[in-house]
Amino acid sequence: MSIEVKNVNKRFGDFVALDDVSVSLPTGQLTALLGPSGGGKSTLLRIIAGLDSADSGSISIEGTEATHLPPQKRNIGFVFQHYAAFKHMSVAKNVAFGLEIRKKPKPEIERKVNELLDLVHLSQFANRLPAQLSGGQRQRMALARALAVEPTVLLLDEPFGALDAKVRKELRDWLRRLHDEVHVTTVFVTHDQEEALEVADEIVVINQGRVEQVGTPDQLYDAPANDFVMSFLGDVTTLGGELIRPHDIEVDVTPGEPGAIEGSVSRVLRIGFEVRLTVLTDVGEVVTVELTRTNARRLGIAEGSRVYLNAVLGATRV
Amino acid sequence: MIWFSLLVLIPLAAIIVKASGGGWHTYADTLSNSQTLDAIKLTVGTSLLVTALNMVMGTIIAWVLVRDRFPGKALLDLVIDIPFALPTIVAGLVLLSLYGADSPLGLHFANTRSAVFLAIAFVTLPFVVRTVQPVLEEMETDVEDAAASLGASRAVTFRRVVLPTLVPAIFAGASLSFARGISEYGSLVLLSGNLPHRTEVTSVRVMSYLEGGDTAAAASVATVLLVVALLAIVSLDIIARRVARRDGRNG
Repeated sequence: MSIEVKNVNKRFGDFVALDDVSVSLPTGQLTALLGPSGGGKSTLLRIIAGLDSADSGSISIEGTEATHLPPQKRNIGFVFQHYAAFKHMSVAKNVAFGLEIRKKPKPEIERKVNELLDLVHLSQFANRLPAQLSGGQRQRMALARALAVEPTVLLLDEPFGALDAKVRKELRDWLRRLHDEVHVTTVFVTHDQEEALEVADEIVVINQGRVEQVGTPDQLYDAPANDFVMSFLGDVTTLGGELIRPHDIEVDVTPGEPGAIEGSVSRVLRIGFEVRLTVLTDVGEVVTVELTRTNARRLGIAEGSRVYLNAVLGATRV
Repeated sequence: MIWFSLLVLIPLAAIIVKASGGGWHTYADTLSNSQTLDAIKLTVGTSLLVTALNMVMGTIIAWVLVRDRFPGKALLDLVIDIPFALPTIVAGLVLLSLYGADSPLGLHFANTRSAVFLAIAFVTLPFVVRTVQPVLEEMETDVEDAAASLGASRAVTFRRVVLPTLVPAIFAGASLSFARGISEYGSLVLLSGNLPHRTEVTSVRVMSYLEGGDTAAAASVATVLLVVALLAIVSLDIIARRVARRDGRNG
């Protein structure tokens, strides 16, 4: 295991940011710390980096006890949400910073900087100032800067949080590809479940200072440990008192299977290829159902239709 | 532009015209007067010294005000402006009662050059603090964390990351502080004693020329002060740009 977090507690005044958190993050993988804002995930990342200190508990990185090491000695790369660019330095100088601190010979620094700028596709901007770059370019620069020191682990704190949706998606694909090339152990914090599901090898769900579940994206999606994980990883609705995903509900206009829950459609909302129904069941439950446009047409569903709802086979329910 | 002209340009032009009214020899006469020359030397020298001190102390005070937490911080933040807000003659009285002949502190600076230094330092204290403070407040601590994660010690982070960001503000404050220093009158006139060749500053010299009815001489000293102030502001600006760029672009 690359990063071993054991029984870490952290309070800010009365606020409990981390409550006895223990987690192991595997070497060479891309791990997401996923959870709502204020849940403690950024605090955990900063404690791993040494930028904050834990009240109690221990951290080890690649077998090295790091609990009391200052950030300078942890050999980590850190990428911040708001880039944290050195504004008065050129892009190349930003990337070279860590190498210059380590007093590497000039030709080596130059070679390494060029190599990294190539990797993040910023070669033609080497002499620009950060202010002359777009947000996405700035974040790629920050990533190159962090990678320059050949860190044992790369830590990213909401790296795409400040970018607009399109750039965010591009960068997230790009991060995945970069990780497949570079293979450095990477941990990134996000509150966006889609981002975590799409990019990460492993996801740690953190809420209210506690680890709710650890697993691969499939494990979390298909077998959520509790209500929270279930509802945080995707849309949910209730059917027969259980949490279920709206697309895991089968709709019929005739009473087919026994045990089907009967109700009437109170609202039909069409979003592109998808149709979202709000069904008021006869026992008074409000159920959201998602089906494809084709299916909705075939069934001839409109507002006021009587419908019979069933969970599909293999549906995830909590 | 008209407002600016009325307020600034026309009076400035009037001074220069007045001074040149007597022709070049008025300048030459006034400036070769050893008493005037000593006054100019003292004023400019002391102001430079005080400005250098302010650049260091002002930055430290701003840092403490922005980054540290301690009881009474809000009060200190308020008090910083007092030397600036106080009518200068009141500042002079304060200094006189503290450091004058019957000083409660046992410090006797009356009629010495230290009095000039003290008075100028007193009234120019807020300038650098107030220019640096907002820049520090705006600066994200992320940048320092980033430097630390890249292996930079606190000292290196300060020198290579924090200071370059503050330099323009420090120098802007320094220009203001220097300009105020060379023009100071009220706060030092009481404590310094205005001894010719010893503690007499330029503005006092201008005043005595005026009292003697020699307006042309007064105007020519004023013109010299004007030129010195301009030179100082321009050169501080140039230095600030140099320093800010030194670590910047490649090469």
